[in-house]
Amino acid sequence: MEDDDFDRLLKTCRIKLEPGERKRIKDETTQIIAYFDTIRDADCDNCLPSYQPIDVPARTRPDKVEGFYDTGKLLGNSKIYRFYIVGPKI
Amino acid sequence: MIGGIEEFVDKEKPEGYYERLIAELEKVNSKLHIFSSINRQISSGIPFSVKDNICVSGVESTASSAVLEGYVPPFDATPVERLKSNGFGFVGKTKMDEFGFGTFGINCKDHPRNPFGDSYVTGGSSAGAAAAVSVMKYHIAVAESTGGSISCPAAFCGVVGFTPTYGLVSRYGLIDYANSLDKIGIIGRSSRDVRYAFDIIKGSDSYDTTCVDHQINGENRKKLIIIDQLMANVDQDILSSFDKFISKMQNLGYSVEHRSLPLIDKALAAYYIISMAEASTNLAKYTGFKYGIRVNDFSKGYNEFFTEARRNFGPEAKRRIILGTFVRSASVKSRYYEKAMRFRHMLIDALNSIIKDGFLISPTMPIKAPAIKEAEELSPLKSYSMDSITVPPNLAGLPHVSFPYDYINGFPVGVQLVTSHFNDYALLDFVQGWEEEFNYRFNYDVGAI
Repeated sequence: MEDDDFDRLLKTCRIKLEPGERKRIKDETTQIIAYFDTIRDADCDNCLPSYQPIDVPARTRPDKVEGFYDTGKLLGNSKIYRFYIVGPKI
Repeated sequence: MIGGIEEFVDKEKPEGYYERLIAELEKVNSKLHIFSSINRQISSGIPFSVKDNICVSGVESTASSAVLEGYVPPFDATPVERLKSNGFGFVGKTKMDEFGFGTFGINCKDHPRNPFGDSYVTGGSSAGAAAAVSVMKYHIAVAESTGGSISCPAAFCGVVGFTPTYGLVSRYGLIDYANSLDKIGIIGRSSRDVRYAFDIIKGSDSYDTTCVDHQINGENRKKLIIIDQLMANVDQDILSSFDKFISKMQNLGYSVEHRSLPLIDKALAAYYIISMAEASTNLAKYTGFKYGIRVNDFSKGYNEFFTEARRNFGPEAKRRIILGTFVRSASVKSRYYEKAMRFRHMLIDALNSIIKDGFLISPTMPIKAPAIKEAEELSPLKSYSMDSITVPPNLAGLPHVSFPYDYINGFPVGVQLVTSHFNDYALLDFVQGWEEEFNYRFNYDVGAI
């Protein structure tokens, strides 16, 4: 993988690597992608993609109003302003 | 052989039993680093531990990741809730490879040590779970497998690791690794212990729409099938020992058939493509302001803030996020991710056709438990290749069990048995039959009465 491509990939992932770590992970990534390429020979283009290994019926829970957990506990890890979780700027 | 749990239920517990259990456990834990937390409040019930990626109400659950440090779920995962309601007592959270990313149990802080030799790995990713079973006399561990995370540590720690058919156990409350592969299972000291707990945790759950309520069969099959390609990279001493085990099974009335399935060589690549693709999306929710580690500098822009939070992932997690994001990229998605999904369909059909009248059998791992130093020196790709035998049934969602069949130089080695979807009880029946011929060995008996 070229340096520019790897840097673009890191930006997409929102991952920042230290210089030494960057070289090692880039080399390992290139090696692993080359291994992934072995799947290109598999003669499976006529098979449908398998999204789950067994047939899972398509079902959802019916809508209903339900008493939920203590919202204070759910939001306990976050910085809160009034009813909102405070996050970074967009 | 009577299961330890049934014996425990029937036995009168001496006064102060649980206090003594916790004291002994803390002593062993200071040496082997199996638990991330021990519940000192346990005062009744059959002790059960929970892998650190499964939520227990009021107990820090981090999936052994710094990113989730401080995350305390306000609810129990469904399997945990079911065990607590059926006579079990929560004893502690067990360590694991960060988010399940690892084969040897060494991708976390103060990683667990093998009870058969503390300079050796436990196997992963349910590292602490298998080690906890190996050290505690009356106990079961709730664990989770994506590509072999129950079988591998069960083999290295000499215990029974059962991974049910995909979808039979609710995953509500599981900190996801890869949704189309994750399965919650049980590790125990005997097939009966495993069955006892499995019968409690299985079954549909309105909180997990991928969980199915299917009849579970126990159709015994008298044929053992060995896929030659799975044996190609197995160490010679394991092969010799496995051959002796197969001869014993023949003497017990099983026939043995060798089959060739060349496509199985590509299962490892397909597995890592799918699992990394799914992991890279699952880990996107750790943004530094909702779960776990909180980044407090809100003056940063979104990208900077998010990048800062993700510095806390370990090296293997970062690698999998990078690779998973790559294989999902628009320009290569059909070449990797979609191809792997098509391959999985083909593999499931091929395996179903082979095992319709027999069990698939092989050593669980191609090597014995390596020394920690040896495992640390392996390249990521070499480390992934160690999953070559455990990946196929996991990729196909087939039920499988690893159980010990021999000890080589004092270390246990495991055999992996695979059957058709929903024929799960047949695996436990098979192991129960084997237990009549086999004596388990353990170096610790914490909690013995």
